[in-house]
Amino acid sequence: MTAIEQHPRHRLDDLLQNPVRFSIVAALDRASTLSFKEVRDAVEITDSALSKQVSLLEGAGYLAVGKSFAGKMPRTSLTLTKQGRTAWKAHLATLREIAGLS
Amino acid sequence: MSDTTPVAPAEAQALLDRAEHLSRSAHNATRWPYITFILALGVATSMGTLAMGLTTGNAFGLAYVGTLTVTFALIMFFMITIRGRSAFARGRRWTIYIASWFVTYAAAIAVVIWAHGSVLASGITSALILVVTMVCAAREARS
Repeated sequence: MTAIEQHPRHRLDDLLQNPVRFSIVAALDRASTLSFKEVRDAVEITDSALSKQVSLLEGAGYLAVGKSFAGKMPRTSLTLTKQGRTAWKAHLATLREIAGLS
Repeated sequence: MSDTTPVAPAEAQALLDRAEHLSRSAHNATRWPYITFILALGVATSMGTLAMGLTTGNAFGLAYVGTLTVTFALIMFFMITIRGRSAFARGRRWTIYIASWFVTYAAAIAVVIWAHGSVLASGITSALILVVTMVCAAREARS
């Protein structure tokens, strides 16, 4: 095994290295469940761009997407799953290690 | 194509700061109506069940109607406040908070029905409502 392979950055989650996906999961970290609009406003992104990244995170099992209706208006909720939280915590721990905080 | 790049210590620190800021601001933007609601619900139902448990006749009627009115007004206010932003309410944490309140409230109502006039039982169950909702609100406020 080489020294490069031992660097903590190799343990960073590939999916969470994208800045938008990183921000989406960060926004859901404390709240756990938020509406699509709340995440969009927190991340400051367009609906279509958020939708694309949410699909990727959902596909990886990091997010659960809920659909409901308030009258005739569709409401989408985003929930950080247990798998997503585990990956997020590991990603943050690696970042702390890289930053020299652990 | 990979969208990953090597992360330097300074970048890692910047990412950690951004994560903390985003997490806190997204949570702050949603949680305060919920904290206010559960605190107000706890105070109203605690005082209401205590009053119902210890009074009779017209005073009991006033306590009963008063509690129902205040609780209904609180729920209406809450529903209007969170309209369009209700996803947080379906989160696991809030389900636990509301379930905890409901269990203590049901206990207090049971005392009103089956142990009416018991100062000790009414005091304990009503205090329990207040304690449980305050703990839930404090936990959410500090998270």
